[in-house]
Amino acid sequence: MTNYIIRRLLLVPVILFGVSVIIMGMLQLLGPIERSALYVKDFPKNDRQVDGIIKKYALDRPFHEQYWRWLTGVKDPVTGHREGGVLYGDFGYSRSASQPVIDIIRTRFPNTVELALWTVVPMLSIGIWLGIKAAVYQNTWVDQLARMFSIVGTSFPTFVFGLLVLILFYAKLGWFMPGKMSDWANQVVRSPQFVNYTKLLTIDSLLNGRFDIFWDALRHMILPILTLSYINWATYVRVMRSSMLETLRMDYVTTARAKGLTEGVVINQHARPNAMLPIVTMAGMSVVGLLGGVIITETVFNYPGIGKATADAAANLDVVTTIGMAIFSGFILIISNLIVDVMYAVIDPRVRLS
Amino acid sequence: MANELLNVQGLETRFKTPEGLIHAVNGVSFHLKEGETLGVVGESGCGKSVSMLSVLKLVPMPPGEIVAGTAEFKGKDLLKMTNEEIRQVRGGQIAMVFQDPMTSLNPVMTIGKQLEEPLMLHLGLTKAQVRSRSIELLEQVGIPRAAERLKDYPHQYSGGMRQRVMIAMALSCNPQILIADEPTTALDVTIQAQIVELVIKLREQLGMAIVWITHDLGVVASIAHRVAVMYGGFIIEEANVKDLYKSPSHPYTIGLLGSLPQIQAQTRQRLYSIDGMPPVLYKKPQACPFAPRCKWVLERCWHENPRLEPVGEGHRVACWADTKSGSER
Repeated sequence: MTNYIIRRLLLVPVILFGVSVIIMGMLQLLGPIERSALYVKDFPKNDRQVDGIIKKYALDRPFHEQYWRWLTGVKDPVTGHREGGVLYGDFGYSRSASQPVIDIIRTRFPNTVELALWTVVPMLSIGIWLGIKAAVYQNTWVDQLARMFSIVGTSFPTFVFGLLVLILFYAKLGWFMPGKMSDWANQVVRSPQFVNYTKLLTIDSLLNGRFDIFWDALRHMILPILTLSYINWATYVRVMRSSMLETLRMDYVTTARAKGLTEGVVINQHARPNAMLPIVTMAGMSVVGLLGGVIITETVFNYPGIGKATADAAANLDVVTTIGMAIFSGFILIISNLIVDVMYAVIDPRVRLS
Repeated sequence: MANELLNVQGLETRFKTPEGLIHAVNGVSFHLKEGETLGVVGESGCGKSVSMLSVLKLVPMPPGEIVAGTAEFKGKDLLKMTNEEIRQVRGGQIAMVFQDPMTSLNPVMTIGKQLEEPLMLHLGLTKAQVRSRSIELLEQVGIPRAAERLKDYPHQYSGGMRQRVMIAMALSCNPQILIADEPTTALDVTIQAQIVELVIKLREQLGMAIVWITHDLGVVASIAHRVAVMYGGFIIEEANVKDLYKSPSHPYTIGLLGSLPQIQAQTRQRLYSIDGMPPVLYKKPQACPFAPRCKWVLERCWHENPRLEPVGEGHRVACWADTKSGSER
């Protein structure tokens, strides 16, 4: 098992290298002058400054030289101060947000993580539960209802469903609202008494003993959580249902029944772990999608996460930020995939031991 | 009979399929005495597995449905039992071994865990007792380094070893009946022989009755006391193993035995085969289901389905024709 993880970890830099080469390669479609924008905070004052940047970062040089400088940045020979360099966490300066890209990631990513974590729980548990119920009660009203529920979910475009729940729960009923938190909560959070342990508001508010802020944060998150869950439930119910149906036909399920085990044990201990294998892959991909920023949902609910930042940057033609976000998403993707593979090995001994 | 263990009467099982109702078992009756081994023979789709699965209500329902019959086990009808009651019987008093050892063990559960389950469930042993009993069981079926191998997963066992595990699992609670559903079909010939030998040895030690489902007449000859031949969802002949091989009376049985290769055969000749295909039973047969393939077919065979009638000591046949004379009985 340890060997397996180590082997997979060794692959991570290789894949990251590939991803970054592709993204840098895409940058080559721009001319040297356009690419020089990667390295300036403001609009350049004159052509000489642009030429200087092009020379400094070797933007007119062959690809491999550019790539190396992009990775490691440039050290100022006089001050020893390093500028640029993805390896050192410098993704450039975001024109649209007026701050370094890495700072956007630093402030926005915890919000996205928080939303993802809260979404994963209902998405997986209810999706899997409904899928199993649909399979066990195949062709009964339970099954029909679950399938109808999932077809409706698949057919809704995210933004339509998002707007509908906004109209209902925000405009009409006023129960839940968009955004991240109320103004009063924001003031408390910014005050020095409030300690940010994890940067995840729901967890920090509990750690600070502020249940009112926890409830406020949750009320702001419920609608995006509901939207993301519902859109995904559909797929989970369908995949879990068909996987479970297939598993229930397996010989070892008959073996389990022939031992005299209760139907509950047969389904939950014998069939479900086997039927879950395809779900693990899917769940991994969902988590990757959620962590990479859910652009539409975050935009509809004005939720300050990575997705919203990416959307804002793209809308402002802010190439630097967009690329920074792309590389960051790639990184998240690789790490999440690794976690999925490890989970796969935990569940399926055939993967673990071969 | 005092020592009668299982008595099945008029069992009928159907399956609802998109193509229509399949009448898989159409009134099967048989009995099993303590310590006796009954071989159930027939080709694929003749209803032999479904009949035995029906007895334990293990037929998937839906699409399956047991529509008629009784299955008395020690005086109690298994088919009328509640789910709770029949669970006590399954694995505890009547255990099963299935055809394909590659798929009949749960791939994501250790062998040890799978062996433990019936022990905990039916015998209520403690953790330590369960472990020593598991090791004992694996040793009994001839698995070396049993203690270590409990931690292994099914894919780390070979096919023959997995079938041994299945047998160990089935016998773990000292059942009175072992139903073996083609346990050697998926194995190669040498392993087949080992498994048969193992079951014979365990039968001597434990004294359980066995229902051995197979389409291999050779295996039946070496293990069974009595044989029931099935065709089209019916038992068409039933006899002691010696009588059946010496004087088969149903045209189908004669055909089956005739199609075995003879080791003493002097000349090279084509193996005998029964013409035609076994029926797919969309309707419950009102005539003899074997009539279209029968060499002895009579006018009556097309209108009336023969019932099992005695033709000798413990020998019953369902056929209108007397295969010795060719005329009606």
